[in-house]
Amino acid sequence: MDADGTADVLVRLRDVLRDSAVEEHDWDAVEAETPIESLGFDSLTILDVLYDVEEEFGIALDPKQVVKTRTVGEIITLLQQNGA
Amino acid sequence: MLHLLEYWAARLALFGVDLLPPAAASRWAAALGSLWWTADRPRRRVAISNILRAGVTNDATEARAIGRGASRHMGMVLVESMKSALVLDDPERLRVDIPGDVAAALEDPDRGLIVVSGHFGNWEIAGQWLSRYKPVAGISRPMTNPRVQKLALERRQRRAFRMIPKYDPDPGRFLKLLGDGEILALLVDQHARRGIDVPFFGHPAKTHTTAAMLHLVARTPLTFLVCRRMAPMTFELSLSPLIERARTGDREADVEAIVRTLNARLEEAIRRDPDQYLWGHRRWRESRGDRLDA
Repeated sequence: MDADGTADVLVRLRDVLRDSAVEEHDWDAVEAETPIESLGFDSLTILDVLYDVEEEFGIALDPKQVVKTRTVGEIITLLQQNGA
Repeated sequence: MLHLLEYWAARLALFGVDLLPPAAASRWAAALGSLWWTADRPRRRVAISNILRAGVTNDATEARAIGRGASRHMGMVLVESMKSALVLDDPERLRVDIPGDVAAALEDPDRGLIVVSGHFGNWEIAGQWLSRYKPVAGISRPMTNPRVQKLALERRQRRAFRMIPKYDPDPGRFLKLLGDGEILALLVDQHARRGIDVPFFGHPAKTHTTAAMLHLVARTPLTFLVCRRMAPMTFELSLSPLIERARTGDREADVEAIVRTLNARLEEAIRRDPDQYLWGHRRWRESRGDRLDA
């Protein structure tokens, strides 16, 4: 396991994405550098994913911070800053 | 060429509306709506079928009368929306009822608000009036004619009320505008291909979930709006107390609970004034067996 738990968070995040996203995607290939815009979310599916991510990690994210993120790695950082 | 003809026909109609005094323009629009009801047989059949299916009446003759009244109403909605300046600043023409918790949300510049309604009464006037508090974004589907689209946007966007496209590549745009303390106005009574089945007048109807999900994820307050016509160019606008749902961890159950509440609010308004609702929309797509031959 990595020192700061980033890899664990990424694995859990991939699982949430796989379960809640309706888009077809190779979720195992998602890495920290993956741009969020490449994941194919729209203004509705992003909400489903955010709900499930918050439930998985037991945290509440600030939507204003979420919309500023550009990569999966930035989401992971945000999750960790909020206690994930 | 057809687009150009449509554009000039729309310009001509607008010119006529602008020239007429409000009462005359309203009567003219109602007459056009009545004419439309007579001419558009497919839409008429859908409307009558929907009215009967909703159980607003069981009598086919009365359903036709309600449908014609609703068609007249929609004509008036168009004209009233274009002449909204007459209404927005006149308390005699626009009575407003806002509960305290909604007023607090409206007056807080940092707090977004989700305002939900249906194609009932005059939702355009309501959106324009709300923009006195903070910017309002309403969602519209793009018209096939870009010239008419541009003209419509010019006329519909008043004060801080603006229309935003239904489809946009930015998935975070709703979160952004709510985070900026704006109002997102949503009409939730059209068939939603990707929606969930929730009863509408007792029959399952695919219903949009965006408002509910935004409430749950952005934790933005949510209210239901009704703007009913009391007389030509005279309205009563009311907002429900904030609709709140604490998250249970079951996303689908949370969403359904909120959407049911919103549908119930809309039903209540429609039952009171069935001739102020857009009945011509195929709300129950699966229901093909009970059409009435109009």
